[in-house]
Amino acid sequence: MATAAGAHEAHEHTHYTTTGLDNRKIAIWAFIGSECMLFGSLISTYLVYKGRSVVGPLPHEAWTSPAGEVFKPILNIPVTSASTFVLLMSSLFMVLALAAVENKGKAGYEGLLGSSKFWLLATAIAGAIFLAFQAYEFTSFVHEGLTIRTNLFGTTFFTLTGFHGTHVAVGVLWLMSLFFIDLKRGLEPRDAILVDLCALYWHFVDVVWIVIFTLVYLIQ
Amino acid sequence: METSSAIPTHDASEQSGIWSWITTVDHKRIGILYLYTALFYLLVGGLEALLIRTQLAKPNLSVVSAETYNQLFTMHGTTMVFLVVMPLSAAFFNYLIPLQIGARDVAFPRLNAFSYWVYALGGLFITLPIFFGIAPNGGWFGYAPLSGPTFGGGFNMDFWVLGLQILGISSLAAAFNFITTIINLRAPGMTLMRMPMFTWMSFVVQFLVVLAFPVITAALFFLQFDRFFGTNFYEVQAGGDPLLWQHLFWVFGHPEVYILILPAFGLVSEVLPTHSRKPLFGYNVMAYSGIMIGFLGFGVWAHHMFAVGMGPVADSIFSVATMLIGLPTGVKIFNWIATMYGGSLRFPVSMKFAIGLIAMFTIGGISGVMHSSPPSDLQQTDTYFIVAHFHYVLYGGAMMGIFAGIYHYFPKITGRFMSERLGNWQFWLNFIGLNLTFFPMHFSGMLGMPRRIYTYDAGQGWDLFNLMSTAGTYLLLVAGLIFAYNFFKSRVSGAPASSDPWGAPTLEWSIPSPPPDYNFAQIPEVTSRYPMWDLKAPDRTAGIEHSHADAADIADAHAAPMHEETERRTAKELGIPMPFNTIKPFLVALGIVVMFSGMIVLHMGKFPLAMATMLGGGVFMVASLYAWLTSPLE
Amino acid sequence: MPKLHLRRVAPVAVLALALLALAACGGDYPNSTFSKNTELNDGAVFIWDRMMLLGTIVFVVVEVLLVYTIFKFRRREGGPAPRQIHGNAALEITWTAIPALILVFLAVPTVRTIFENQRKAPANALQVEVIGHQWWWEFRYPEYGITTANELYLPIGRTVNFSLRTRDVLHSFWIPQLGGKRDLIANKVNYIWFTPKETLSPAALNGACVEYCGASHANMRFRTFTVTAADFDKWVAHQKTVAIGSPAAGAAAAAADSAAKAKPAVPVKTASIIPVAAPAEPTVPEAWVFPADKLPAYAIPSTPMPATAFDDALLAAGDAKAGRELLMNPANLGKAPCMTCHVVKGETNYATDDNAKGPNLTHFGTRHTFGAGLFRNDARTLALWIKNAPAMKPGSVMPTFGVGEFNPMIKQQVPAAAGLDDKQIADIVAYLRSLK
Repeated sequence: MATAAGAHEAHEHTHYTTTGLDNRKIAIWAFIGSECMLFGSLISTYLVYKGRSVVGPLPHEAWTSPAGEVFKPILNIPVTSASTFVLLMSSLFMVLALAAVENKGKAGYEGLLGSSKFWLLATAIAGAIFLAFQAYEFTSFVHEGLTIRTNLFGTTFFTLTGFHGTHVAVGVLWLMSLFFIDLKRGLEPRDAILVDLCALYWHFVDVVWIVIFTLVYLIQ
Repeated sequence: METSSAIPTHDASEQSGIWSWITTVDHKRIGILYLYTALFYLLVGGLEALLIRTQLAKPNLSVVSAETYNQLFTMHGTTMVFLVVMPLSAAFFNYLIPLQIGARDVAFPRLNAFSYWVYALGGLFITLPIFFGIAPNGGWFGYAPLSGPTFGGGFNMDFWVLGLQILGISSLAAAFNFITTIINLRAPGMTLMRMPMFTWMSFVVQFLVVLAFPVITAALFFLQFDRFFGTNFYEVQAGGDPLLWQHLFWVFGHPEVYILILPAFGLVSEVLPTHSRKPLFGYNVMAYSGIMIGFLGFGVWAHHMFAVGMGPVADSIFSVATMLIGLPTGVKIFNWIATMYGGSLRFPVSMKFAIGLIAMFTIGGISGVMHSSPPSDLQQTDTYFIVAHFHYVLYGGAMMGIFAGIYHYFPKITGRFMSERLGNWQFWLNFIGLNLTFFPMHFSGMLGMPRRIYTYDAGQGWDLFNLMSTAGTYLLLVAGLIFAYNFFKSRVSGAPASSDPWGAPTLEWSIPSPPPDYNFAQIPEVTSRYPMWDLKAPDRTAGIEHSHADAADIADAHAAPMHEETERRTAKELGIPMPFNTIKPFLVALGIVVMFSGMIVLHMGKFPLAMATMLGGGVFMVASLYAWLTSPLE
Repeated sequence: MPKLHLRRVAPVAVLALALLALAACGGDYPNSTFSKNTELNDGAVFIWDRMMLLGTIVFVVVEVLLVYTIFKFRRREGGPAPRQIHGNAALEITWTAIPALILVFLAVPTVRTIFENQRKAPANALQVEVIGHQWWWEFRYPEYGITTANELYLPIGRTVNFSLRTRDVLHSFWIPQLGGKRDLIANKVNYIWFTPKETLSPAALNGACVEYCGASHANMRFRTFTVTAADFDKWVAHQKTVAIGSPAAGAAAAAADSAAKAKPAVPVKTASIIPVAAPAEPTVPEAWVFPADKLPAYAIPSTPMPATAFDDALLAAGDAKAGRELLMNPANLGKAPCMTCHVVKGETNYATDDNAKGPNLTHFGTRHTFGAGLFRNDARTLALWIKNAPAMKPGSVMPTFGVGEFNPMIKQQVPAAAGLDDKQIADIVAYLRSLK
């Protein structure tokens, strides 16, 4: 939140800076550095507690409750692979959106390729689809008997993926505000920094998901 | 903030009144706000300590109840770390960093105001419960499961968990801001290796904040979820591991120690050369050792946990890593002495405090190395020996350095000197009081007295040492009162100070005292590490590297050759665009604190009211944020 | 400015510190961490001595340099301008290298000692389970089937291996005179072992919880009695028996009686207070505990007493049999639910050692203290305790039982119907003190 504020803060394109970079660019890198430590802590906690749940349901193994009820392994890897693919594609769209803003009006950027509106919206929609998958996943887990209170797996899983989902949601809001700015007044190459900041954040959130997907879903 | 007509102030000319303070985005005024707020909390934390020591003056006393005592020691630690020493450092970051690097403000002035207001409101959030007897009572370290819902019911630790989250937002926002400021707003020619040492140490500290605070944020989220949503992070029944909390807490907690001490090291590194008329000895090594301390600081956290049974391999690794951190710290001590050696020493109060830091921190440093050895540490950990150790580091180190900084920079901030007479009284009372309070604690610890006990039995051999410690605390109170009197009196009627009263080498002394709100009418071009000495005592800087900045940079920044600014004109007259005052950062901060307060209401079981509070606070925050982001800065 | 020059203050300060150090070396310090009573402490003291030596050298060097510099280079009118020195690589390397060398001398013995201390305990070590509770200590001797509380007996000359667990929050186990501490951590078993040296004479030592554990952290103390192997055996032989006066004791005594017809039965020293008319004189081994008259002053608690009133005359007339009836008869559970939280071996128990909320009271009468080392085990203190424990120990789980007493935990007065009057309390005290 704090950096989102900082990121939009300065209107100082013309001010001298030591590095020649926009202040906001440096701030967002510092912010991403802190986010790495946050997700590092969340992921480490998940890994530390892996396999230490006292009761099920469990991620990769079936579990029979003392009452004899059988719980299937709860993670649905094919479905999550699909949502992962969508999120990965969104990163591609994000790259195209930034390129479209940076090169607005240049040769080769006519039509769809140069439509920053289209690519911004596409990125936001891909993000929203990912969130929809996650909402589906969360609800089905709850139906199958896994809540954030059930066991250590539920606690760490929902917290980790929930934090990531929140980050995606913030990113979608950010993308949508850029989209509306674009609709309202059009984003020009001099506005590239605005999209650039969002892109850095978006790619970071994507990379975090790759790590989560690998460690939580793929490695048993 | 000046009332005397003899000294022109930027407030008198351009802004005044309470509203101007609430809406200010000027880094100097925000620095002053930090200073006053932190000094207020110093009084609060000091009174807490006074009650603690009064209770322990003799065996089996009952000045306060066990529960009150536990709240007092929890709040004393929490207050001193998060509401006093960090914000006092932040006061100097705010005031000095832009001045030292030749900038007109920080990179994000409104974010800066936001950081302050989050701190100020968060401080109230965590402090006020003590008046209702429901202050945090699980220790400043909040070890699970005592801090969790099963064993730490009630509101006490709710305030702690939420309060620290709020304060974390403030620290992180400030750190992003200062990192950007230092990287990006240096005057032409001010290379990294020409930055004043205080800016250097502050720079390291910001990275520590950025990398350490998210870890405790995560740990606190876990605890918060356990307490409010019934998760199992630290719940023993569900297989939760209390050591997870300890690891996360100390991964944050140890770098936090350096977050507390490095700014004081920086301040002392400004004071010593100035009053020795000699440059800082081994500037490069001083900068690198600061970086080394920061870096190693992340690899030693488990030395707080030698008693938890980590096994011999982990114990050995963390032990040796801890010893290593003594090296860059030792280098600093020797380099400070070498800075003074051969100098022409003058001893104003700031210099006395700076020397006091060297003398006292050495004691804390040596006892710190003693704890690095587990076989011996196991006899010391959780005893008063540790209390002695870290008070020598934090009082003898951080606070001495901060007092040195206050006396040194008071003339810059107010245009007046603090009284040397009263300052000397304060210094000596502080010096004696600190040793009388904390030195005997070494003995009570070695003689077996555990920490965090609200009472002890007679005949344990601890009576004399405890009585001495208590007496010392009262001396420190007197010293504190003298300081407060000196501070407020000198503000109004201290002797007027020139722009460079000490003959210091760095940029902040090239502008009037107090500085105009735009700082530098013309950004100076810096050609060496000691621009003011280049100007005033070129013989002192003959031996160091000089070079001119890139011509394009100089043109870009409209920089002028290094000069002293004596004229005091308004920004308008000079045509310097200044950021508008704005209430929005305050409103966003307020929204956040209201949102967090909703969690307390949730714990009261009033679900609709809680939701209303949180949603209300959230909407208010988002609306204020939207207004902030869509309004121009200047 | 006050003429408080350093040259006048410094000697005073040095003198004061020296006096302080002297004071610390002289006096009577029952919890000193420097007693070489075990091999664990030998290691700690060895490293401490070395650190103290090296640390003192560093301290003296730094402070002497500092003080010398301050006096030598103070500014003088018309003095020469200082030579401008910006650094000296050789010097800086030197004062990095020398401390590094010093640290090697510290690191090597440190690592060696770490591995020595954390070896597996010898197989023949005495096993003691330490279980932490808010706020008291449970000690079990699994070899002997003994469960006791707050008073630990250790044989001199035999290695003791503690396994440490907690029933609730974190605690830390520490006997300063015998060696370093170890935390009690939920969902984890920790170990620490040491050997009270052969050369020790029997002693009573203080121990304490040193990890903050809530309201009465300060009140979680215990006593350790290091006793000769022979005395320890006597203590064990007695402690492993069931409680005197319990039905099990009666049965065991009857059986033993018939078996021991040939041998004369060993009389119990404290036979006079045996409350219950036992079927036969039981052949319980002679009770042996650390002699009360040998207890040093520091091991006798002087915790202040609450203002709770008690009719002392009733104590002398306390009827142990009636007290036992109050505790053991299920009809009284509402008023005196003691046995739902405490275990007395051989009696009707509603709790087991593994879920008991309070200390095992089997041989309570032989203990010198109660309330986790807070109080002398005498009739009056015990009566006050039963009447209103939370008033004597903040946060105590044991409720207030005295009729009309104010329970500070739930902030309520105990109604007449639900509480015990002084007479009943005196009877219970008599019973508890008879549990020799």
